[in-house]
Amino acid sequence: MWRKLGSAARIAAGIAVAVLFVLPLLWMIVGSLRPTGLPPARTVEWWPSDPQLGNYIAIFDLLPMGVYLRNSLIVVAVAVPATLLTASLAGFGLSQLREPWRQRLLIYTVVLLMVPAPAVWLFRYQILSWLGLLSSLWALILPAFAAGSPLLVLLFYWTFRRTPVSYFEAARVEGADAWTSWRRIAMPMARPTTAAVIVLAFALFWNDFTNPVLYLYRPDTYTLPVGIQILKQVDSTNWPLLLAGATLVTLPMVLLFLALQRQFLHDDALSELLDRG
Amino acid sequence: MPVITSQSPRTTPKPLAVVRNRAGAFLASYDGQVRIFLLPFLLGTALLIVAPAVLTVGLAFTQYNSISPPTWVGLDNFKNLLASPLARLSIRNSLLFLFMAVPLRLVGAVGIALLLQRPGRIYGPLRAGVYLPTIIPEGAYALIWLWILNPLYGPLNALLGGLGLPTPDWLIQPDTAQFSFVLMSLFTIGEGIIVALVGLRTIPGALYEAARVDGAGRWQSFWRITLPVLAPWLLLLTFRDLVVVLQNTFTPSFVMTYGGPYYATTFAPLLLFELAFDMFDFGGAAAFMVILYALTALLVVGIVNLVGLNQDADVA
Repeated sequence: MWRKLGSAARIAAGIAVAVLFVLPLLWMIVGSLRPTGLPPARTVEWWPSDPQLGNYIAIFDLLPMGVYLRNSLIVVAVAVPATLLTASLAGFGLSQLREPWRQRLLIYTVVLLMVPAPAVWLFRYQILSWLGLLSSLWALILPAFAAGSPLLVLLFYWTFRRTPVSYFEAARVEGADAWTSWRRIAMPMARPTTAAVIVLAFALFWNDFTNPVLYLYRPDTYTLPVGIQILKQVDSTNWPLLLAGATLVTLPMVLLFLALQRQFLHDDALSELLDRG
Repeated sequence: MPVITSQSPRTTPKPLAVVRNRAGAFLASYDGQVRIFLLPFLLGTALLIVAPAVLTVGLAFTQYNSISPPTWVGLDNFKNLLASPLARLSIRNSLLFLFMAVPLRLVGAVGIALLLQRPGRIYGPLRAGVYLPTIIPEGAYALIWLWILNPLYGPLNALLGGLGLPTPDWLIQPDTAQFSFVLMSLFTIGEGIIVALVGLRTIPGALYEAARVDGAGRWQSFWRITLPVLAPWLLLLTFRDLVVVLQNTFTPSFVMTYGGPYYATTFAPLLLFELAFDMFDFGGAAAFMVILYALTALLVVGIVNLVGLNQDADVA
């Protein structure tokens, strides 16, 4: 009896916390559906009384949102697959490397994780300018060929370390090369990690605000996150309009996350992360 | 491994192995290929992370505007910065922010992980729910909070007013503005929650069973079992948070307040940006970065001493 009550209380608390965390997202969407020109509500709107899509049309009329959207799509279309490839290959390479280099490169990767992003702003600007890539989408895509973030390499490394060594040994005895091992054994066993890395890589490039602000100055190269800031400069108190812009940037990310989260957030996936073979 | 056996006839006669030169042999060997897999990552990070981060240190001792060649000025940049009230204020703001945000984020992540760690159908969607704010694009996230915190029309004050609670001016007053930034950072702890969840799963259930048999209560098993096992994970998380949470103030301070009111939200990354990309004082910006490196290192050493850590956290 008490146990049942306890677990009910736990579920209630869990739901309360989850609702609190979803609230900013809910308020964004509700705010964006308000009819244009209507004065702001004086009480909390939990649901739009008269939902309209006018603001979503207005932002495309006001600014070349289509161009920004296209640029954002180009960036993720190139950068996400490139990140997945380089991060999984590097993680696999790291897991198959012999000592002492495995340990050394592992420490290198963890140290990279601790380098604050602003530390590279100045010289990356300089390097991009030398390469002639300032204010081109390549300035945003380039990190994808370095695995996007060291964290993604580590995620793959941890996954591949838990794949039983005997699998790879057997493949090697059979004469399989490293490429085949990666493609036939390692990757098929790393589904949850792959899903997580796709989400994280998409977030890295789609959500990126700082790099465009630092390295892009030609309006035809702007991406969506920059676009909604321009929206704010154009019409800074038109909240339904600004929230429509925010929703436009946020929605693809949220949908991708919701589509793939089951792969790595449900119970089996979390335990799988720890099954040391 | 039947999968491999069926595979091998196709992969064994590798054209590269036939080539007699050493490069060919290296490319054909398993160990050689493994090293080639690491090449893009190693070269890329060397060019895009290591070189910029290291060269910044050299730049700190020069005067450089990114156009004409740098000239050596010794410690002048550091002297100027330490004498500058704005630089000192931004470091003070940053430290204050870190001291509030990092512990709260850590407690929040562990608390939520403990609440949502149970297996069960309902918990999967709840975990996804608490992760959601973490994946909202930061530019949009800043706009959403600008709306939520709007003192006149924002939903937060409407809610507080409706409940008869005080309605602060949030981003308009210096101290509530700083608190607003802490509040915003408490919702983006998805990464920490996942790490804590994974950490919790490493604890064998038998350990709790044994503690129960010995008469330990819930609270006791939390302090004696859960926390010690989680400790290395939490330490790693703290170090990462020290770096990440400060750099994440850039977008909100750029979008929402541009450092105001009265420089209350001028955190280190924003000042760095202004020095480098508004004033084109790359030397001064680099020196400021070096000061930040030193402060972060001090904090890390301080925490390591505080915890009394003897061996490195095992991340391998």
